[in-house]
Amino acid sequence: MSAIDFYATTLLVYFGVDVLAAWGLNLQYGLYGMYNFAFILFQSAGAYTAAVLTLGTPSHAFGAQQYFAGAALPFPLPILIAGLVGGVLGLGIALIVGRGMRSDYEAIVTFVIAVMALLVVNSVIPLFNGEAGLSLVPQPLGGVLRLSAGAYSWVYVAFTALVCLICWVVIHRLMASPLGRSIRAVRENPRGAAALGVNATWCRVVVSVLGAGIAGVSGALLVEFIGTWSPGSWSYAETLVIFSAIIVGGVGNNIGVLIGVFVTQIVFAEGSRFLPTSLPANLVGSLQWIIIGVMTLAFLWFRPQGIVPERRHCVPARPTGGRQAAARKTDPAAVSGSPLVPGRGGS
Amino acid sequence: MLVVPAIGFGVVTAAYVALAAVGFTLQAGVTNIFNFAYGDIMITAAFVAYAVNAAGATLWEILVVGAVTGAVVSLALNRLIFRRFVRHGINRFGMLIVTLWTGLILQNVLLAVFGPKFFSLQVSSGRLFTFFGTNGILLTGVQIISIGIAVAAVIIVAAGLHFTRIGMAMRALATNPDLAQASGVPARKVLDYTWIVSGIFCGLGGVVLALATGAFEQTTGEDFLVIIFAATVLGGVGRPVGAALASLVLGVVMEVSALYIPPNLKELAAFAVLVVVLIVRPSGLFSLAKEGAEVAVV
Repeated sequence: MSAIDFYATTLLVYFGVDVLAAWGLNLQYGLYGMYNFAFILFQSAGAYTAAVLTLGTPSHAFGAQQYFAGAALPFPLPILIAGLVGGVLGLGIALIVGRGMRSDYEAIVTFVIAVMALLVVNSVIPLFNGEAGLSLVPQPLGGVLRLSAGAYSWVYVAFTALVCLICWVVIHRLMASPLGRSIRAVRENPRGAAALGVNATWCRVVVSVLGAGIAGVSGALLVEFIGTWSPGSWSYAETLVIFSAIIVGGVGNNIGVLIGVFVTQIVFAEGSRFLPTSLPANLVGSLQWIIIGVMTLAFLWFRPQGIVPERRHCVPARPTGGRQAAARKTDPAAVSGSPLVPGRGGS
Repeated sequence: MLVVPAIGFGVVTAAYVALAAVGFTLQAGVTNIFNFAYGDIMITAAFVAYAVNAAGATLWEILVVGAVTGAVVSLALNRLIFRRFVRHGINRFGMLIVTLWTGLILQNVLLAVFGPKFFSLQVSSGRLFTFFGTNGILLTGVQIISIGIAVAAVIIVAAGLHFTRIGMAMRALATNPDLAQASGVPARKVLDYTWIVSGIFCGLGGVVLALATGAFEQTTGEDFLVIIFAATVLGGVGRPVGAALASLVLGVVMEVSALYIPPNLKELAAFAVLVVVLIVRPSGLFSLAKEGAEVAVV
């Protein structure tokens, strides 16, 4: 496999995986307004699930790694089950933080959950091999396809693109459906939506489970390709980067989110090229984080709606509606915008 | 019995949790901003203390340096970033993202300056004190000082909030910023004082945490934030005495639980308390700041 092939395919798979995760988070935050700082947990759960379901039983594990259970399931199953596990975790989070908790506490509890999960996986080594993490996960269908490493990587890129396409269709259909409108209504005005009979808990469960499931699949896709997963890949800061991608691209807009992921990834992967090569390695790493942070703050200040703002969902006035319809046409409450734009939406 | 020494450890843990939590609960209660950079400001103070300690500063000097660093960094972050974003009209979620990223930027600046390794403060731990017999509680001089500072901090903040004009102004701003400003409370000044006072406790908490844990790194403050959050929510946002009592409960629960579960997992006990409290009472225990309370725009 040539260096170019390796570089391009790795970058593309990472891009697809990050886009999936960002879409999942965008469902939870952009569409519903959930404050979930434990989001990376779903991706991580998916990755660990897929890894142990591909590696085989612990006694057959490669190297000296230990984990609590495992199996060697055929190709699509580990990824699908990873999505399920992510979804179940999403249900758990939705039920813990969903019961009328004040929004600041929601942020605190999810943040705490993320830190605690990392602590547990790091400290309890028999669970997922602790800080060293799982590695040597075999690539799916490697023995069946009999391709060269380069060709295999490109096939995997195509597979990732296919998964992205499927998820895009599912998300798009949800957002355009009556349920999607209800979810958006809960975001804009929870009490108003409740008065109209919208079941906010159901909306919350739907976005949380679907978003988490997509994140689980994204983690599985990544681990099946790169073959390793460890606590270093899922600190709470990673959730923050996904939030940054959404804020930069445009909260609530899937195309915008895709662009946002592209921008943040370019900064991470390529930004270091513009730094002097004489800097020590850890300094370059720190500077990348600082640059992403400053970029996010700048967007929040200058363009909180992001590069591509959420499409305005206008209620068309009925021709015979008279005064009511005219009022609705100019009423800002009838127009939903990005939850980050000042003076509108949010809570 | 091992439980008695564990309770002793619990009191020491409670001291440094309380010191940090009193500052945090004051800050969150008065400004209505949940400052996720708090743990990183703590550890910044610890790093500055480390730098002067390496130059030969003694225990009392590094405590003063830590307190000043905490106050200066808190005030600067409020004036340069947080207050500006509030005036710019950012919403609650945006503010969380701003404080989280501010903390992460601070962490990475420290990483760039000091490098990725563990640090420890070199101070003599003073003479030993024993309580409840030879198998009882054994405390070092530094630990006694930590407990003393924590108790003093709680009394100063609680009394200050209730018996001084500035404390009354802080409580007024916490409950209704618009009405307070209309009634002539100089909001900008009062909020600056809040950031300075809470920053002092934040800095002291950072140095005491660094002394207590022995070895610290750039992310130590971020992990410690979990326990501060638990103490704040359990004690009620904006209630320093509540935070102190909650710290005592959490400290003892964590250290006693360390007898039964692996000690490096003892934070899980604090986490369990937090989750149970919030499941039973999703709006938190007796909070000073109400849901939907506005962040003061000054």
